[in-house]
Amino acid sequence: MPDTQWPRFMVFQQMAPGEPLVHNGTVHAPDIEMALLNGRDVFVRRPRAHAMWVTPVECIFAKTAQELADGTWLAGVQDAGGAEEKYHVFGKLHHLGQLDQLGMVEAASAPMAMKRAIEGFGGKPVLVWWVFPAARTLYSDEAEAESLFQFSESHDFKNQAFYPVITMMRQMRAKGKLED
Amino acid sequence: MYGASVDDIKQDGKAEPERLAEFEARIARGEKIEPGDWMPAEYRKQLIRMISQHAHSEIVGMLPEGAWITRAPSLKRKLILLAKVQDEAGHGQYLYHAAETLGATREEMVEMLLTGAAKYSNIFNYPTLNWADIGTIGWLVDGAAIMNQTMLARCSYGPYSRAMVRICMEENFHKKQGQEQVILLSQGTPAQRRMMQDAITRWWWPTLMMFGPHDTDSPNTPTLVKWGIKTRTNDELRQDFVDQLAPDLMALGLTLPDPDLKYNEETGHWEFGSIDWDEFWRVVKGDGPMNAQRMAARRRAHDDGLWVRQALAAYAEKHGSLN
Ligand SMILES: [Fe+2]
Ligand SMILES: [Fe+2]
Repeated sequence: MPDTQWPRFMVFQQMAPGEPLVHNGTVHAPDIEMALLNGRDVFVRRPRAHAMWVTPVECIFAKTAQELADGTWLAGVQDAGGAEEKYHVFGKLHHLGQLDQLGMVEAASAPMAMKRAIEGFGGKPVLVWWVFPAARTLYSDEAEAESLFQFSESHDFKNQAFYPVITMMRQMRAKGKLED
Repeated sequence: MYGASVDDIKQDGKAEPERLAEFEARIARGEKIEPGDWMPAEYRKQLIRMISQHAHSEIVGMLPEGAWITRAPSLKRKLILLAKVQDEAGHGQYLYHAAETLGATREEMVEMLLTGAAKYSNIFNYPTLNWADIGTIGWLVDGAAIMNQTMLARCSYGPYSRAMVRICMEENFHKKQGQEQVILLSQGTPAQRRMMQDAITRWWWPTLMMFGPHDTDSPNTPTLVKWGIKTRTNDELRQDFVDQLAPDLMALGLTLPDPDLKYNEETGHWEFGSIDWDEFWRVVKGDGPMNAQRMAARRRAHDDGLWVRQALAAYAEKHGSLN
């Protein structure tokens, strides 16, 4: 068996109930269940999470505003019919931001899902679009949220405010001045 | 497919100079370049080099501090150090991901590190000889890294910039836990103060070298600045570091190993002596105090992990859940 670093999975995280999910990055894992656990270990060390989704990287269908700019790609997308399935839609709305969850569309192919996403959510300028099939996504179990994620919040010492170094330095300088 | 379209030849009929002008105008407007957008081959090449080197540094950087986890003087310091080293592992993962969006594979990058073809930060080729080194690394080494990373959080490539924003948030804890230890040890018993002074004496110059060669010897810098990968030069960042750290360390009664260090009232900057670039290049080329041990430790970890990678891959295959 050749050595491997395993396939890549895209990781999305929800910080609190009701909030849109955000894209985090990728992890490598031998399968999608391990990807969820690796995603938790890499991305939930702080500050918190309520839910996590993972999907294989090759399931992500992406277009940037630049790729869509002249309209030729979109004009070429044809609805070939066939069974429709649900796709998640993510978009990057700000240059300094990340990809946020926008919603869901139904389509028979990834390009059609992209087209419907742009029609449905394109009211504001989107810099990067992603669609991926809901059926190829693994979702953390709501009932396990506590055991999966909660402990990350209870480590005060991972917060920079735990270390009163500014006050300590001020005291040191004041002491130095008295001795001069 | 995400992260691979950088390899596509874009069929929009535009000539290369026209695309380049458009690309540079986007960067000048403060826009981020995303996977899938057109980019010059050189931009991509420089980013892969920088990001993978940066990722390797996070991974190798766990070794000098990891050596002290078993010897931490209290449970509190042990938990803090464990969390910090664990963060560095996470930083390595974030950065490898950013390089992967440009088409580099994890297998290639790991191979480059293990064969010595890729570099990592020189600073991790120095040994950690006493417990005060741990505080010093937190305050000085992570502090220097933060200055570089704060700049890179503003860089023009979206995935790199996002990884850096996340890393900077976590790095402040690394720096402050180190600073707190340096303050406490520098005000401690005579033995603790001696230990602290010894650590500062050994780490001061290697930390200044972390910012890299002088601007006049950094041929890549002008291009990196023009394309918004770097927004400040090595010498500018190094000067900021000395201006911040020198007065603080001296306020703690610590002596810096530089007889030429002095404050210039006129410029408002701290002037410092010349860096031993012979030592710098010697360590870059593999002849530092710990280069051989660091590489051996990484190779051993990789070899020891082979059966785990294979066992999990075999399990995934058997259960048909590979992806
Ligand atoms: Fe780090
Ligand atoms: Fe750090």
